[in-house]
Amino acid sequence: MKNHHIVFATAFSLALASTQAIADGEKIAIFTKNQTNPYFQAFRLGSDSAAKQMNASTIHYVPTKPDSIPEQLGEIDDVVVKKPNGIVLIPVDYKAIVPGVKKINDAGIPVVNATDRAESGNFVNWVGADDYSTALAAGQALVKALGGKGNVVIIEGVRGVIGNTNRINGFKKAIEEAPGIKLLASQPGNYQRLQALQVMENLIQTYPKIDGVMAANDAMAGGVIEALEGSNRKSLIVGINGSKEAVEAIKAGKMLASGDAAPFLQGCFSTMSILRSIRNMPVPKEIIFPPMLVEKSTLANYDIAPEKQTCPAWNTIVK
Amino acid sequence: MSNLIEELKNSSQLKNLFFRLLVVLIICIALSFLTEAFFTTNNLLNVLRQASLLFLLASGLTLVVLTAGIDLSVGANLGMSACLAALVMTNTGSTLLGFMAGIGCGTLIGFGNGLLVTALRLPSFIATYGMLWILHGITYYFMGGTTLGGFDKSFRFIGTGYLYGIPVPIYIMTIFIIAGSIFTKYSIYGQQVYAVGANPVSARLSGVPVNRRLMLVYVLSGLTAGLASLVFLARLNSAEGDIGETLTLPAIAAVLIGGTSLFGGVGSILGTLIGALILTLVLNGMNILTINGNYQALVTGVIIILSVFLDLFFRKKSNT
Repeated sequence: MKNHHIVFATAFSLALASTQAIADGEKIAIFTKNQTNPYFQAFRLGSDSAAKQMNASTIHYVPTKPDSIPEQLGEIDDVVVKKPNGIVLIPVDYKAIVPGVKKINDAGIPVVNATDRAESGNFVNWVGADDYSTALAAGQALVKALGGKGNVVIIEGVRGVIGNTNRINGFKKAIEEAPGIKLLASQPGNYQRLQALQVMENLIQTYPKIDGVMAANDAMAGGVIEALEGSNRKSLIVGINGSKEAVEAIKAGKMLASGDAAPFLQGCFSTMSILRSIRNMPVPKEIIFPPMLVEKSTLANYDIAPEKQTCPAWNTIVK
Repeated sequence: MSNLIEELKNSSQLKNLFFRLLVVLIICIALSFLTEAFFTTNNLLNVLRQASLLFLLASGLTLVVLTAGIDLSVGANLGMSACLAALVMTNTGSTLLGFMAGIGCGTLIGFGNGLLVTALRLPSFIATYGMLWILHGITYYFMGGTTLGGFDKSFRFIGTGYLYGIPVPIYIMTIFIIAGSIFTKYSIYGQQVYAVGANPVSARLSGVPVNRRLMLVYVLSGLTAGLASLVFLARLNSAEGDIGETLTLPAIAAVLIGGTSLFGGVGSILGTLIGALILTLVLNGMNILTINGNYQALVTGVIIILSVFLDLFFRKKSNT
């Protein structure tokens, strides 16, 4: 009797598989870096939306102390025991994560790497945007708006973090391309709004004329806006992340553009990748989103709140 | 007799402050020689305004450290109070309610810390460290990854406004310094706070209500964090879950660089101002000299150690 049931169940799921190629109900563990950055919030919403569309579910693992490496490694120990069907992993630190990835590989759980590339390990694929080209696009937008000449400052993120290095290199490339643009200073703001505000206030004291500011994230761009308004100075400002805050600032004309790292789409396509891999459907080794800019002309695309967005179909992005 | 000892103590405190002030002057003179951009009215007001934010947060903390305690929750307190005030203001449109929410939240958290330390007799490090996580947890849960921003002009005045050409936060800082100094130096409460820190047993024996004074300093530390959260909010024009996260350690550093002892009983509010000034001057100096970001952490560390070393060095010299 029992055997009958199993045969029946198998036959039933085969029938389903033959029509839809779907085996429902997988549990996917999603690892993000912190609760505080809107970027990861959008990423989580994207992965939830993708999982819902594909009849799977997500469990989120987020360090309670933002960007805590030991906590993320601890969560990996935890997840290896619980054995979800698949994992989507944004490593807090691309080097420190390596032993964690090895544990996941040893446990035989398939894993997709998203946003920051881990140094080594076996991954289904990598899904992310390219920090360098996103920063380059934002930098170029600023150079273009300045007519190719003027004084520019860069507000950097955290020193020694690979994403920040790539963003700064992207900004600097945009400046090098334009001989009329002079880089006055490049100072760290540690991705913090308050520090960026104070750094900008200090730079205003030294440089009587700052035409443009490139900030390595939108929160720091927000700090720069406040510093300039507080001193009755004007500069064109670009940031990175394409956050809701940046969309508002661009709409209000306080900010020129923000490089969009497409966190929502990254969440969608990393989760779709892991589910497709589990279901034996083809998945490309890399999904890299082309740099996109939030600016006046593209504002309409960004007017939807992340919680109301839904993932686009797989074949609209992956050809 | 006890009056005499008291006076000696006060004068040695003045002496301590004098040499710390000297260190601030040395940094200022050095920066003036290095760049023209430093010694201008605008930049000096800029430095004072930046220091005022840190000072406000550190001022209440100073009282806790004077009792040989610590409040590790001040940054998390500021974050939660700011977010709550922002939520109230964006939902009700009332600046007054926002003020009450921020100050009330900060004070309540201080009261909670006080209860943990006095009623439950937990070490202050553990009590406030636990509180830090609870506050982070609640704030992250309610804020998610969102940012609240765009406040009323009248509210933003306390962070961005000017009166007679001087930024409003500097006035607020001045009020805190005067009130804090009067409280610590001349009120019986302040004297008792020092006594609790110097020796809680003998303080209790000589009739000081130790638990009530401990409660008082944690409540005041919470209150100043709540007040500081409003000035931060007005200055930044936005609140996010991690707004206070990086502020706790600099606030503690400002208190200690300012000469208040972790062992309690020694220190002053004015010292904390000097500590906040030194930390602010370091960042200001590095920015206006555009020192490469790779060296900034190193320079910060060296200057902090050097400034406290110089202070000790001068003091030894003057004593011999």
